[in-house]
Formats: sequence, structure tokens, C-alpha cells
Amino acid sequence: MSQAEGGVRALWKSKIKFAFLIPAVVWVLIFTIFPLIYSLRMSFFNIRIGQGDVFIGLTNFARVFTNEQARSAALVTLKIVVVAVAVELVLGLALAVLFNRVMPARGLLRTILTMPLFATPIAIGYLFFTIFYEEGGLINGLIPWKVPWLSDPGLAALSISMVDIWQWTPFCFLVFLAALQGLSDELYEAAMIEASSGWQIFRYITLPLIQPTIVIVLLLRLAEALKLFDIPFSLTGGGPGTATQVYSLFTYRTGLRFFDLGFASALSYVMLVVVMIIVSFFFRHLRQIYD
Amino acid sequence: MKGKEDGGLSSTRRRTKSVIILILAIAAALWAFMPFYWALSTSLRSPLETFTVAGLGVPFVQFKPTLANWIDQLSIGETQRALVNSTIVAVFSTIIALILGIPAAYALARFRFFTIKNRDITVWFLSQRVLPPVVTVIPFFLMMRSARLLDTRTALILANATFILPFVVVIMRQTFADLPLELEESALVDGATHLSILRNISLPLAAPAIAATALIILAFTWNEFLFALTIGSRQAVTIPVHMAGAVDTRGVQFWFMAVRALVAMLPPTLLALFAQRYIVRGLTLGALKG
Repeated sequence: MSQAEGGVRALWKSKIKFAFLIPAVVWVLIFTIFPLIYSLRMSFFNIRIGQGDVFIGLTNFARVFTNEQARSAALVTLKIVVVAVAVELVLGLALAVLFNRVMPARGLLRTILTMPLFATPIAIGYLFFTIFYEEGGLINGLIPWKVPWLSDPGLAALSISMVDIWQWTPFCFLVFLAALQGLSDELYEAAMIEASSGWQIFRYITLPLIQPTIVIVLLLRLAEALKLFDIPFSLTGGGPGTATQVYSLFTYRTGLRFFDLGFASALSYVMLVVVMIIVSFFFRHLRQIYD
Repeated sequence: MKGKEDGGLSSTRRRTKSVIILILAIAAALWAFMPFYWALSTSLRSPLETFTVAGLGVPFVQFKPTLANWIDQLSIGETQRALVNSTIVAVFSTIIALILGIPAAYALARFRFFTIKNRDITVWFLSQRVLPPVVTVIPFFLMMRSARLLDTRTALILANATFILPFVVVIMRQTFADLPLELEESALVDGATHLSILRNISLPLAAPAIAATALIILAFTWNEFLFALTIGSRQAVTIPVHMAGAVDTRGVQFWFMAVRALVAMLPPTLLALFAQRYIVRGLTLGALKG
């Protein structure tokens, strides 16, 4: 496909291409690559503002793996992200299958379903604070129990997952719906003649066909969800105690509240490596598209 | 054969099935909409009523709605300044990202680069987007401190333009690549320069995509919190930071929080509604068409 395209597509030669491309490249180098190098350097130092930096080799990185708070931050992030992304994928796919049928007001319902996507995360966090609030919040006002959504450590982490699910299921839904609508009708007609049940058609035809899309969505959601910061910051403030202090929040506090800049840089580099491992799978697929 | 056998029965069953599907779809939409409704309902209550009105808090039925909280919040100087800051930061970041990103995208779609392949340059731009922001926030903070740009809108514009630039490059590259070549080729034959072809042929054809991209990146910039929190403390406070400040200083005030949440959420949510067709492509970084 991309090779056939490449044959038709003219790729011009002219020096002006550099004038078009280079400003954007330089901008990114200045504001991303330079900070990254700066931060890598800091991760090998004990930075004491106003007193000069002391080279300490890999000590900061060793701390990342031995520090109790770092470990608990990594674990709670993983817990929140795994629960959230799993539910988002399943629910998003279910909704896509549902909306892939003819129904009244489909366009309107679909539009409403996409509203959470671009809602300001920090505002959502505070809003859900009032929704999960134990006395007078929306949920506990509707159910007969008093559930300690935000004061129980386990439930607080679950609440963060629930907010993430609310915001990002629409994304999975939209992408899966687009994928389903791109499948050919002929295939389904053939399947209908074979008189398979709806579930069998889904399991043996639809699912394998949209599997590549599922993988992309999974990788994108994982990479995105690991950055989780705004919602824990606003919904729980990392609490109760440090029960929902996710990795980004811990790194932020280490660096910009306690100004332990070397340790914070090491923390962020470890995170960078993890995210890069996840997205390198994604990029392998992307390279083919961009050719 | 099988279909004809139970024709009468299956049409009732099919109708029941489609009713169930519709109900499920409506339930899903309600779930998505509920927090917006709750914010609106809370924002229209008096402070006392936010605690006394039970359950769903239906306006007019359970309480008499008032705009007092809205007037109260919007008349505060701090709120107005945050609104102005957020608007300026979003607009200028968007302009910078478009000016830098569109030519780069065009170059990647139409020209061939040799030492580094086009696709690798594209993926490199893209990789900036998946970078966890917490990795660059500390060095960026120190850079801005050295440049004496802390607590300025300029610093926020620089940061946000950097975040959204890869979006512009990736989405617009695809858009330009999808445009038919004939017009551009015949203009080249007629002796037009590449710059004038970009300006007079490709840009007008890509205008809808540019508009949609602009809306999406405006929304992203509006929502950005981590850098805004780190860089802006008094003068350069944006809406998300303003929102966070309200909680720290005054405790839980549902009625004000609801107003602020809506003031924050409505602009990006409404903007994105106009860019619906491009959301899938935008959010999957061009990996999937929708």
C-alpha cells in the first residue's frame, strides 16, 4: 500500500525544504532536547542550590530503586493505570459495538459521549471531589451506604481509576467505532449466510480484524496514563497519607517542593525509559504508516 | 430458510433488542454527561443548599436556581486575570505552533530528505509528544529562572507551543500528503515557487484541517496544568492553576468549585465539538484515521 503510494507520490528536491523544516526542529531542540540533557546531567549530581553541585555518580538512580516512597508511588501508579486502561478498552469496545448499529439520535448521543475527552483534567478532579465527597456528595447521596471513596487508601486509588475511565473511555470508544465502521459489509453478509451467532461473528471476525487498532489504543493509553498527575493532584492530593501519590506527583514534589533536583531528575529519567519502552512498540508500527 | 421460519417472532425480538440497545446507549451518554450536570446544578445553588438539597439536585424542582455564585466568581479580579492569561497563552502558543509546524509538515509531506529519512523525522517529532512532562518540567523551570521568565505568560507560551508543535506536524503532514498533487505540479511547471504554492494552493485546500487542528491544540493548551503550576505563581496564573488555588486557601466550597470547574471545562469542551471529525486522528497522533 505505502509502496504503491510512494510510486505515485512525487517527492520534490529543493533547498527550500530546509527553510520549511529547520525552524520547527530548532524549536524542539531548544525546548525539549536541551532540558533533557540538562536533566540527565543533574541526575548524576547532588544539587544544592547556592552551594554548588557535587558529582555522586549513580547514587540518585540507586535511590530510585531503594526509596520506599518511590516504590509505593510506582506501585500505586501501576495499580491505577492497569485498572483504568483495562476497563477503558473493554467498555470502549462494548460501546463502539453498540453504536455501530442504526439507532435514533445516534449522532447526538455520540457527541455527548465525547464531551469528557477535552474537559480540563484539573477541573474534573475537583469536580469529582464533590461527587465522591462522603457527606453531601453526589454518589453517596444516591446510594444507601456511606462509602469512604476518598479516605480509604484502596478506594481512593480506585476513585482515581474511575475518573480516568470516565474521561478516556470515550477516546477508546471513538477509535474503535471508526475501526468498526471501516470494516467491509461484505464480510458480515458472508458471515450472516453462515448463520453464525452475533457473538461468534464478533469473536471470530470482528475482533481479529480490529486487533491492530486495539494494540495501538492500548499502547497509547498506557503511555498517556503513566503520566497521570492532574487527577491525583486535585482529587486526592496524593492522600490519604501517600496512598495515591502517583509517580509523577512524587517526582514533582521531590524536585519542585523539596528541591532535591538530582533525585527528581533520576526519578524522571527512570520514568522516561519505561514510557519509551512502551511507545517503541507503538513507533515500530507507526514508521510504516509514515513512510 | 431459517430466517423465514421464525419471521413473525424475530421481528418482535428484534424490536425488543433495538430498544435495549437504545436504552444502553442513552445510559452511556447520561454517564458521560452526569458530572457536567452535577456541576451546573451545584453552581446554581446557594451555599446552604449545596448541603441540604439531596440526591440529583434538580433545579426548579428541588431548589430555586440562582446566578449568585457565577456573578460572585466572575467578578473577582483573580478569575478575570486567569481567564485573560489562559486565553492569551492558548492563542499565542497555537499561533507559534502553526507557524512553525505547518511548513515543517509540508516539507515532510512533499520533499525528500536524504541524510535522515522523512519518516524518522516525523517519528522524532512525535516522540516529543509522548515524553512525560514531569521529565522536562524541572530543567525548564531552571531555564526560565535563568532567563528571568518565571511567572510570565511568555514562559507558558514557550512551553505550550513546544507541547503542541508535534501535533501540528503530524496531523498536517498527513493532511498535505492526502491532497491531490496535480494542482501543485502544474503550478510548478508554470514556474511558481514552492513558497507561493504552499501559500496559494496547499494552505487553502488544507484550511479545514488547520482549523480543526487549531481547535484541538487550543483545548490542550487551555487544559495544561503541570507547567502552569510550576511557572505561574501570581501574575501568570492560568485557569487550571486558579482552580487549584481556590481549594488550598478556602477549603471545600462546592458552590464556587462548581462555577470554576465549568468556567475551566466549557471552552475546551465546546471547541472540541467543532473538531469532531479530526479527534480520532488527532488523539492517535495520525496513527489511525477516523
